[in-house]
Amino acid sequence: MRKLNNHVQELFRDVPESEQKNAVMQEVMQNLEEKVWDLMEQGKGEEDAINKAIVDFGDIGDLKKELGIKTPAKKDHTKLNLGYSVWGSLLIISLFVFINFYYTPEIIWFVYPTFAVLWWPLTMYFKWQRSK
Amino acid sequence: MIRSDIIRGHLDSIILRLILEKDRYGYEISKEISTRTDNRFQIKEATLYAVFQRLEKKELIESYFGKVSKGGKRKYYRITTLGKAYLKETVAEWEITKEIIDLFMEGLN
Repeated sequence: MRKLNNHVQELFRDVPESEQKNAVMQEVMQNLEEKVWDLMEQGKGEEDAINKAIVDFGDIGDLKKELGIKTPAKKDHTKLNLGYSVWGSLLIISLFVFINFYYTPEIIWFVYPTFAVLWWPLTMYFKWQRSK
Repeated sequence: MIRSDIIRGHLDSIILRLILEKDRYGYEISKEISTRTDNRFQIKEATLYAVFQRLEKKELIESYFGKVSKGGKRKYYRITTLGKAYLKETVAEWEITKEIIDLFMEGLN
């Protein structure tokens, strides 16, 4: 029966602790033990009976879903990233504009770094589009 | 053994029906299903407990602890009034489904 217990523990390993989980595990253990006894009464050896009970039990994917394990949905950050890149590049560009007109108003050079910086939000924009 | 994905959608009804007859516990239900179907269909116990959880959440069944047996206290399930109504509905639905599928499955060969 130790083996049975270990198997049940293993099955439920990644289910978060809760009262519900413990109740189900207890129920599962009880029913499995009863099945093993039943199989042994039908003439199976203990080892055999335990193995059959374990194999018959199957996969608990559905049960996990009922017990509230959600495969954590990967949060989509692309929109946030786009917003960040837009604000960030606006700040950088306005810094360049300020320096340009404050120190060297006779030469307009801020467009060059502006072009370079614009690649950032552009990239983020397309990442956002792809994720939609 | 028959492909279980077709039966899968009706497991709730099958189990409700068995609990309607009398209060039952997990292993008893899986055994009963195997006997009644002559082992042509066997429910995986893991699936069974998922169904219990679902039905209990929907308040179609409720559970209580019965007498101590080998291996501990059995957890019995009984059907609720809501469960009975639900079962009745699914039976009616099944009648219609059967008729529709039969329209296309019968009369060949």
